[in-house]
Formats: sequence, C-alpha cells, structure tokens
Amino acid sequence: MTRTALLLLTGALLLAACGTRPADTRVTLEFFQFKPEAIETFDRIIEGFEAAHPGIRVVQNHTPTAESAIRARLVKDDVPDVMALNGNGVFGELARAGVFYDFSTAAVRVYPPVQRILDDLGTHRQGERNGLPFASNGSGVIYNKDLFRRHGVRPPATWSELVAAARTFEAAGVTPFYATLADAWTVLPAFNALAANAAPPGFFERREAGQTSFAAAYPPVAGKLRELFGHSQRDRHSRTYEDGNLAFAQGKAAMYLQGSFALPAIAAARPGFEPGTFALPATDDPGGTRLVSGVDVALTLPREPEHPREAMTFIEHLLRPEVMNAYAREQRAVPPLENATSPDPALAGLMPYFTQGRLSGYADHHIPLTIPLEQLLQQFLIDGDQARLLRELDEEWDKVAARSTS
Amino acid sequence: MTTSRAYYWMVLPALLLFLVFHTVPVLQGFYYSLTDSPGYGSYGFVGLRNYANLFRDDRILDAYLFTFRFAVVATVLTNALALAVALGLNARIGFRTALRGIFFIPNVLAILIIGYIFNYLFANSLPAIAQALGITALSTNILADPGLAWLGIVAVATWQAAAFNIIIYLAGLQTISDDVREAATIDGAGAWRQFRSIVFPLIAPFFTINMVLSLKNFLQVFDHIVALTNGGPGTATTSVSLLIYSGGLEGGEYAYQTANAVVYFLVIVAVSAFQLRVLQRREMSA
Repeated sequence: MTRTALLLLTGALLLAACGTRPADTRVTLEFFQFKPEAIETFDRIIEGFEAAHPGIRVVQNHTPTAESAIRARLVKDDVPDVMALNGNGVFGELARAGVFYDFSTAAVRVYPPVQRILDDLGTHRQGERNGLPFASNGSGVIYNKDLFRRHGVRPPATWSELVAAARTFEAAGVTPFYATLADAWTVLPAFNALAANAAPPGFFERREAGQTSFAAAYPPVAGKLRELFGHSQRDRHSRTYEDGNLAFAQGKAAMYLQGSFALPAIAAARPGFEPGTFALPATDDPGGTRLVSGVDVALTLPREPEHPREAMTFIEHLLRPEVMNAYAREQRAVPPLENATSPDPALAGLMPYFTQGRLSGYADHHIPLTIPLEQLLQQFLIDGDQARLLRELDEEWDKVAARSTS
Repeated sequence: MTTSRAYYWMVLPALLLFLVFHTVPVLQGFYYSLTDSPGYGSYGFVGLRNYANLFRDDRILDAYLFTFRFAVVATVLTNALALAVALGLNARIGFRTALRGIFFIPNVLAILIIGYIFNYLFANSLPAIAQALGITALSTNILADPGLAWLGIVAVATWQAAAFNIIIYLAGLQTISDDVREAATIDGAGAWRQFRSIVFPLIAPFFTINMVLSLKNFLQVFDHIVALTNGGPGTATTSVSLLIYSGGLEGGEYAYQTANAVVYFLVIVAVSAFQLRVLQRREMSA
C-alpha cells in the first residue's frame, strides 16, 4: 500500500513539475501546412512575423499525409489555429462541410480571378469565402528548350501546331511526351487542360441539372487525350511520376504534361536544367486558350477560431505582397496578386495568362472525389474504349448523385 | 477462492482494453453507417439507405469479385507451396535449421516494403530479363496490364504468406511420431501413400487453421495492393478493403463505406464459420 502511495505521489510531483514552467505570456498559434518542401520557407516567414509581433508565437506543424491528418483532426474537433492547405477537391469538400472560417467580410485584398477559382471549389453557404489564395500553380506543358531549338520547333499556340510538333519529334526519333501512367493521377493535368478548353463552358452545372452528359459533351476531350498519350513513350503504363521527373530532366522527351509544381522536382533531378512552359492549346483558336491554374496553397482558419485576432494578424502578414513574392520565388509558384510578376524563366510562358486573367480552375475538382476519375482515364488510355469511358463517367455520376440526395 | 480472484484481475484489464479499443469503435462504426456523415461536421440519420445503395453499386460488386478470386487462388497456392516446403524442411537434409530460418524471413519483413521492392522488380527487372530471353508475354510490366496485374499481387502475397504457413505445418509435422512412419515403411507404403494416408490426416487440424487464417487474411488484402498497383490499372485490382479506405477516407463517403465495411465484416465471419465447419468435419472423418 505504501508503495502505491509513493508511486502516486511521485507521479503527482512530476505532473506538477511539468505544469510550472516559466510562464510564456505569448499567444501560441499552431500553423498547419501541407508542403514538406516548403518547411524552411515557412520557418523564415514565421521568424519575420514573430520579430514584428512579440506577443504571438507560431508553431509550424507539417505532416507528409496532410489531407488524412487534417481529416483526423477535424474528426477529433481539434482544428489547427491557422491552416495552409492545397486548394483541391478535398478543400472544397471540407469548406462545404462548414469547418472553415468565412472571410467574406474580412478586410483583405484579393485578386478576383484566383479567388474565384478557390471559391468555385465549394463554400459552406452561397457567397461565403472560406479560404484565401497564397500561391498559385499553372498546369500546362513543360518543354525541353534544347530539343525544341535543335529540331526547329516553336512552342505551339494551337492544337494543330501541337500535334505537328509531336509528329516532328517522332520523325526525328525523339519521344514527344513523357507519360507516367503507372501513377494514375498524372493523367489529370492533361485532362484538366483539355476539359477547360475543349469542353463546352458551364458543363458541370448543366451536368448537375441533368441537361447534358459526358457522352454528349466530352468526346473531344477523350479523343484529344488519347491522341496526346499516343505520342508518348512505349512503357508509359509502367512509369511513375518520379521516373518521369528524372527522365524529363535527362532530356529523354521533348514535352512533359505536368503542372508547374513538378518544376522543383525536375530541377532537383538535374541542377542547372532550365525547361520552359506553355499552356496546352486544345483548340485552333490561339486567343481562346485558358491556362489551368489551381490554388497551390490556400490559407484558412477554423470556423470559430480560438484566437481570432492573432490568427488574422498572421494571415494578414502572410498575404503581404513581399511575403507572397518571396514564397513564390523559393517554391517556383506564382503569387496570386494583381500584376504578378515572376522572375522564374521556367514560368515565363505561363505568366501572360495570369496577368490577363485567362485562367480556369481544375475540372477534376468538380467531379465528386468518390468517382474514380483518374482510374477510369488510366483504363481508357490502356484500352482506348471511348464509349465505355464516357458511359462509366455518366453512370458513376448518376450513382453518386442518387446516393447523396435521395 | 483467492486464485480465481487473481485470474479475474489478470483478465479484466485485457477485457476492458478490448471493449474500449475494439468493441466500442465497432459499434460506433455501425452507428455511423446509418448516417450520411462524411466523418466530420454535421450529419443526419438516414436509416438503412446506405445499405440499400450498396447493392446497387457495381463498383462494390466488382471489388467483391476481385477480392474473392484473389483470396481463393492465393489461399490454395499458399497452402500448397507451404506444405511442400514444410515437408522438405522436415526431412533429414543438410543445413535444416538455417534453411528453416531463411524460409521464415518473408514473414518478418513488412508487406509494404516487400511490395515496393516487387513493384520495382515487376516494372524494371522482370521485363528486362524477359526481353533478353525473348519471352514476349512478360516483356512489359504485368502490373500495368489490367488482365494480369492480379497475378502479380497473387505472386507477392503467396511468397510472403507461405512463410508463416510453413512454420505451422512444420509444427504439425513434428507431432507425428517416427514410430508411425516406421510402421508404414515396414508395411511397404511408399512416400506418396505415406503422405496421403498417414501424414496428411495427422496434420489435418493444422491444415484447417492454415486454410481459415489464409482465406481470412487474403480477403482483407490491402497493403500488397497499395504498394503494387494502388487498385489499378483502372480499377482492376481494387479490393474491398481498398475501396472502403479510398471511398471512405479519401472520397468523402465515410458513412457509405462504413456500411460496406459492416457488410464485409459479416461476410468474412460467415465464410470463416462455414470453412471451419466443413474442414473440421473432414478432420473427423479422415
């Protein structure tokens, strides 16, 4: 009995000792961010913020599988004070569920074309603004400038020029596109570019209303997708995203159908290699091409923040143009600002679309996450059965719609 | 009286842990399967709607077909292979102990690690070897072929699972006393006859447990697929567990896939119970 008492006493003392550290009067904010490659960049930003605001301490928290982690935290009702998340379908789903703050009345400056892309993902109620763009990406075609110069090809501005360029490379024994279909998601950048440009505008609203179908409106998208991947290397179905970044950096193909987020990985595979970029032209009207751009990093707060004033102060600091520009420079992103400039030569081909506001969101973010879109596209690129792809997309869409409303 | 109280004190904490960490979550999961919860935020009660929708979803049916085909083939192959290797390791051969250790290694390795290594082998090494030998059927990555990918998963799963079954069969073989075999030899029974009429009937209980555990484990196949194909190409190798995970946690249909999980749990219990009954009856008659 005495021994138990002694143990209990020791335990109590230990707990007490932990509790009586010298009091830190600063407010501590947990900053949850999803980009492992940006940890150091954010560390520097936080350092600058803490120096300017001695009353606030910011602790950065990052995890390799941020989306699962944030869901788990939401289930436990333990939402981080400030969050930086990828502006994708999951973000829209969480926003619709009403777990994020409403910034619609907050006094922050935004660039409307980019803000619209984020709001389009989904908001809790009509007119709410559940996140603020911090960094944008562009998704088009990354190309090897050397190979283009050597074979006398200029970055294409129309679909016909793109196909002609691919044929030129093929005739010269150069792989036109490097495809990495073992990772099913890598089909999405090309799909999104085609869906944004070759499909009728407003398709998803009309699909939701039952006025159109994939079978009716998407044959051009599917046909062009098959054509593009038909110009890729033979072992396209067994190569992964990592293989692709390496192979493209080594000059094994002229073009790579990926977003600007692949640029840091390509640069890491071969320092000094400077690829170029252009928006994927899906039609023969060069003026009509829109660049697919997503919000790479969106900032948000919990619906009811614990420290609203301090958290807002931190967000305002992050949204200062000099902070956004510094982040974009280091992470090879585009700052979502009016008159954004990027000194990055690899992004030069995409910048005009940002400054002119010729942007379009990711089409796949409008397709419910539970539809295995990338798997269906991967299957389609293996068997080439266009009718089956479009039929299955329609069937899955109707099934999910029936499940979520009936 | 005091001894029995001591037993209770030993059993109670385990029971408590089991209830808190196993039974309560199961009941909670069952409750969520009756709602439209995405796992967080607000949700409403929808009764048995999720269950009704399950039977109208061909993706679920496809996943069941794939999983059962995979599990049956892998169970048969694993047990045939394990029994053969165990017989060999039980014979009087050189380096017997060392070999037993080596054959157990796959069981110690994490399935994910094995999966990623085999993924590399299937993507790079196997095609290179096949091309050098002129075997066109294997000269491309079989994991990238919707019709063949499941065989790659069967191969890896069998290789990994055989290790554990070998140990169980070895334990079984060691319970057979040498007298019985000697008597059989004197009676003039050959090796095959001895195996069929003496060895196999005597290790029947071990066969039962191996068959039941293998089938149950293979029906829950998940890690292998994540590492090898992630359910692809297309949705060709999406097992029920993978579908529950991807649809429920990544696809935002938490409640719907929880209903799927509840149904699948009942299916596995039914299959295992059926298997136990059939195999145990066979044990008695043998």
